[in-house]
Amino acid sequence: MSQALERQIKPIYDSLDTGSNKSAIVACNKLLKKYPKNELIKSLKALALVRSQKVEEALVLCDELLQAKPTDDPVLTALMHCLRGLGRHKDMVTMFEDAYKQQPANEELGIQTFFANVRAANWKSAQLIATKMHKQFQEDRYIFWNAISAVLQARDPATPPGMQTILFKLAHRLLESCTSPTYLIADRFYLHLFVLRELQLYDDAHKLLDSEIGTVICNTNLSCNEIRRDIWKRRGMVAEEGARGERRIIEQKDRNWLEFLAVLDATFEGPEKPTAESIEHAVHLFTSVAEIDGTKDRTGLLALLEVEKRARQSNLSTDPGRLPSLLRDYFGRIGGKACCFEDLKPYLAFEGNEKSEWASFLQGVATTADTISNLQRSINAHKILRFMLDPSQVTVESESTLLSTYVDLYLSALPLGADLPSTELQPADDFALLAGNTLVSLWKLTSDAKHLQNAAILLEFALGKSKHSFQSRLLLIRVYRLLGAPSLAVDYYRGLQVKQVQHDTLSHFLLSRASNFSLAASGDLTFSSECLESSQIYLSNTQETGDFIVRAFTSEKYSQIPEFIEFEDRLENSLQRDLVKIEHLRMRTTHEVITSDLIDMELIELKFIFDRTHHDNRDFDILANYQPHFSKSLNEQTLLFNLPAEGHGWLHVFMQVYIRALQQGSDLDDTVEEKLLIGDRPKQSPDPEKRGPLKERLKQVKEECLTELTPDEVLLVTYAKALADWLEPYHDHVRPPPAVVLAEAAKQTELKTGFALRGIEIPPLNGNGNGKKDEEAPAIADPPQEVVEFFAKIKARFEVVVDQPSLNDILQVATLAQEAFMLFVIETLRFKSPSVVKIHKLGALTNSFKPIRATALEVLKFISAGLTTRSEKEGSTEVRTAFIDGFSESLSNKDIDQEFVQGIAKKTTESRKKVLEGVGKGLLRVCSNYSTN
Amino acid sequence: MSVLRPFKAADMFKFNNVNLDIWTETYGIGFYLSYLARWPDLCCVQEAPSGRMMGYVLGKAEGTSHEWHGHVTALTVAPEYRRLGLARKMMNLLEMVSDESYKGFFVDLYVRCTNSLAISMYESFGYSVYRRVREYYGSLGIGKGGRDEEDAFDMRKPLSRDPNRRSVRLNGREMIVSAHDVP
Repeated sequence: MSQALERQIKPIYDSLDTGSNKSAIVACNKLLKKYPKNELIKSLKALALVRSQKVEEALVLCDELLQAKPTDDPVLTALMHCLRGLGRHKDMVTMFEDAYKQQPANEELGIQTFFANVRAANWKSAQLIATKMHKQFQEDRYIFWNAISAVLQARDPATPPGMQTILFKLAHRLLESCTSPTYLIADRFYLHLFVLRELQLYDDAHKLLDSEIGTVICNTNLSCNEIRRDIWKRRGMVAEEGARGERRIIEQKDRNWLEFLAVLDATFEGPEKPTAESIEHAVHLFTSVAEIDGTKDRTGLLALLEVEKRARQSNLSTDPGRLPSLLRDYFGRIGGKACCFEDLKPYLAFEGNEKSEWASFLQGVATTADTISNLQRSINAHKILRFMLDPSQVTVESESTLLSTYVDLYLSALPLGADLPSTELQPADDFALLAGNTLVSLWKLTSDAKHLQNAAILLEFALGKSKHSFQSRLLLIRVYRLLGAPSLAVDYYRGLQVKQVQHDTLSHFLLSRASNFSLAASGDLTFSSECLESSQIYLSNTQETGDFIVRAFTSEKYSQIPEFIEFEDRLENSLQRDLVKIEHLRMRTTHEVITSDLIDMELIELKFIFDRTHHDNRDFDILANYQPHFSKSLNEQTLLFNLPAEGHGWLHVFMQVYIRALQQGSDLDDTVEEKLLIGDRPKQSPDPEKRGPLKERLKQVKEECLTELTPDEVLLVTYAKALADWLEPYHDHVRPPPAVVLAEAAKQTELKTGFALRGIEIPPLNGNGNGKKDEEAPAIADPPQEVVEFFAKIKARFEVVVDQPSLNDILQVATLAQEAFMLFVIETLRFKSPSVVKIHKLGALTNSFKPIRATALEVLKFISAGLTTRSEKEGSTEVRTAFIDGFSESLSNKDIDQEFVQGIAKKTTESRKKVLEGVGKGLLRVCSNYSTN
Repeated sequence: MSVLRPFKAADMFKFNNVNLDIWTETYGIGFYLSYLARWPDLCCVQEAPSGRMMGYVLGKAEGTSHEWHGHVTALTVAPEYRRLGLARKMMNLLEMVSDESYKGFFVDLYVRCTNSLAISMYESFGYSVYRRVREYYGSLGIGKGGRDEEDAFDMRKPLSRDPNRRSVRLNGREMIVSAHDVP
C-alpha cells in the first residue's frame, strides 16, 4: 500500500473506532472512486455498514470480498469483525482456511485460522490445523493447542462416549511426544495432569507430581494443587494426603480448611478404620492449633467440632458431653463474629438433654445486647435458637412472642451503631431480618397479609437506618411482590444497582412472572425495559467471551480454557435469559400491534432457543434464611403463588404455546427460513428428545412440566393447545407456498434497500400468483369446547378471586385472560384478510370466530371494570387505616413513628391501586385495539 | 476456617453476597476474564465450607526490570466475614506467588488516602507508602474529604528478591506524583 493511501485510510479506522460509522462510509465511498478495486477500503466499508445495521448492503460487499479469497491481514481482520457482527462464524472459518491454504508458510494466518475454529467450537478442525502448524513451525505450544483441542472435543456433549477415551489418548500421546517437559510451564503441567487423570493413569500422574519440580508447582499454583489433591484421592492416598496436610498445618501454619479436611479424611475414611488413638491424634493436633491461634483464627476449633461429629457418626464418641462443651467453647470464642451461626449450623442436630442445656446456655447470652460484641453474640444465639426450633414450637403465639423479642432487641441495639457513617451496615440489622423471617412465617401460618405489611414497615424502617443493607432490600422486593405492589419492588430492585453478570443471577427477583404486573398494555413499559436491560449481558457474553478464550490460548492458560468455555455456555444458555425472553414477549404482544413482522421475528428467535440445554444460574441462596431447620426456606416461602420458581418445565410449556401460535400465524416455513436467514444456526442438540420434527414436539405437552404452572396457567395452556389444534389445518392450507413467500420477501427487500435478495432464485409461479393450492380446503370444524368455554371459565375465576385479599391471584387471572385473547389475535390474524377467506372459502370458519371474540371482549371489559372497582377500594381510607391498625395490633408500643407507618401504608396502597388500575386500563386498550374483526 | 481455592470464571455466578456490598464494584465480564486469561495463579477465592463465597483477590504481574512486581487489583471480603483475617491469607498467597513464581521485586496496591482502616491493615501486613498519586480516583474537586478523597497511596512491600528494600522508602507520603505517571 502506498503511503498516501495509508494516510487516507487512517481516518476511516479512526471513525470506526469512535463509532462514527456514517462518516466511515462516506470516507470509503470517496476513496473507492479513486481506488475502485481496493479490498481493504471495501472491507472497511462493509464493517461500517454492518455496524450501522445496513445488513443487506453489507452482505453484498462481504460476499464479493469473500469470493476473491483475500489473504491480506488488514482485509481479513476487517472481514472477521464483519462476519462476527453477522453471526457468520462458519464463513469466518472458511475465509481463514482459504487464506491459510494459499499461504501455508504464514504463521499468523495459521493462528487466525485456528482461532476462527476455536470461536466456532470446531475442535476437530482446530486439532488438524494445530497439527499442521506444529509440523511447519516446530513450536511446542502448537502441540498443546492440539492436545487441548482434543480434550475439548472429548468434553463436547455432542461427542459420543466411546470417542472420548480415544481423544484423551490422542491428547496423551501428543503431550508425551513433546520435546520439552510439561513442567516448565505450570499450565502445561496442569493439562498433562488433567489428561492423565481422565485416562486414570494415576501412577504416571503421581510420578510427575512426586518430582521436586512437581512439588514446587503444586505449592505455588492452586489449580495444579487442586488436581493433585484429586489424583491422590483417586489413587487411594488418603493417608498420605492427611500426613501432608498435617505437615502444612504444623510447619507452615497453613489454615486452609482443605488441609484440615485432609487430616479428617485420613482419620475417618482412610484405609484403616478409625480408632480411639487415631481420633485422639487428630484431636491433639487441632487442640494445639486452637491454642496457638486463639480467637485469631477459628479453623482449629471448628476442626475439633468436625472430629466429634464424625466420631459420633462412627459410634466412636466416648464422651456425650463433648459436643455441647465444644459448641459452648466455640460460641464463647467466636460468638462475637457474624459467621458463628453459619459455622455451627452443621453441628446442631442433637436431641434431649443436650439440646435443652445448649438452648438454655444460648438463652443466657441472648438477652444482652449492650455492646457491639454482645449484640453479635445475642444475634448468633437467636439465630441458632430459631434454627433449632421443632415443628411443635412454631405456633402463631410463639412466633408472635419471638417477633416481639427480635423487634425489641433491634430497637434497643440501634443506638450502638448511631455514630457509624451512612455507608456502613448497622450492627443490629440482623434482628430486623430475623423479625422479617418471623413475619413471613406468621403470614404462612395465618394467611393474613397483615404480617407481610408489617414486614414491609419493619424492613423499610431498617433500611432507613442502614441504607446499604442489601438483605433488607432483597426481602422487601419479595414482600412487595407478594403484596401486589410491583412499582415498589421495581424501586428497591433498582436500588440494588445490579450490574453486568449479576443481571443473570439476580433479575429473577424482579422479573419472575413479571407479566403479571406489567402495564405494557396501557403504555407503561417499566417491566419491558427491565427485561431488555437485564438481557444486555448475554450480548456482551456473545461479543466478548470468545475473545478471552482466544486470549487464554495465546497466553497458554490451559487451566482456564475449559472454564471460560463452560462460563460462556452457562450464560449463553441461561434459563433466566429465556424466562425473561418469554416474559418480555408476553408483555410485548399486549403493547405492540400484532403484525406479521412481529410474528416472524419472535418465531425465529424462539425457535432458536427451543432446543437449548438450559443452565439455571439464578442465585436463590443470596436471601439470608433464618427459618427453623425443618421449615421451607425464606426463598421458597416468598415466591409467588406458593410454587417453586419457574423452571425448565415452565419454560418449555410456554415456549411450546408461543412457538406454535407464532408458527401458525407466520408464513415462514423451514425452507423459507433457511433461505432468508443469515448467520449460523444453533448446533443440533445431542439429546434424542430434541430430535424429531419440531411440529410434533410442540404438540406434546408433558404432565411433569405442567406441575410447575399455576392452575390458572394450566387453563391458559389447555386453551392455547386446543386453539392451535383446531386452526392448524386451515393455517397449513392457506399459508402461501415457499416460492411465493420468497418472491414477496425479495420484492420487499429490493424496495427497501435497492439490492436484490442474495442467493435466492425465484422459480416461476405456476398460473395464479396468489398461492392458492389445488386441494380443497379442509372441512370446517366447530371450535373445541376448551376454546369456546375458556372466557366464561376465566370470568368465573375472576369473580371468585376479585374480592380475595391477595392481589396476585386477581392480577394473574386478569393478565392470563388478556394473554388468551392475544393468542387468539395471533392465531386469527391470517384470516382477517377478506380475500384470503374468499379464495379459500373459509367464511364458515371466520364466522365461528365472531362469537368467541365477542365473548372474549365482553369478559375482558368485565374484568377491567372489576379491577377498577377493586383499585378504588385499595385506594380508600379504610384499607389504609386497616394497614396501619394491623401494625399497631401486632407491634403496639414499639418505638416506630406513627407517621412513618402511615407513609408506608400510603405508598403500598397506592402502588396496589396503580397496578390494578393500570391492568384494567390496559385491558380496555386491548379491547379497543382489536374490537373490530 | 475457609477454603482457599482458585478464582474460576463460573465464580461470577456466585459472588453476589460479596459484590452486593457497596464497597465492591461489579465489572464487566471482560475484566475478570482478562485477569484469569493471564494471571490465574494471582486470583483466588476464600470459600466457607458451605460453599458460600467469603471474599476474593485479583492480581497481576507487571513492570519492567527493577519495577517488575505483583499488583493487587481487587481485594474484597463479604461483610459477614470481615475481621476473620481473610484478607491477610489472600495477601499471603498473592505475595508468595509473586515472589516464587513471578520472581517480582515487590507487591504493590493502591488505596484511597482517606481509607485509614485499610492503610493501617496493609501496614500491619508489612506495606508502606511509596508515593502519593494525585487524582488517582478521578478529580472530585475539593469535597468533604478534600484531596485525600481523590488521591491514592501507592503502598509497597518488598519481596525476597529485594533484600535491600530498594523498592520502598521512608518518606513515601511526601512523594507526590500525578496519575499520568503511574501505570
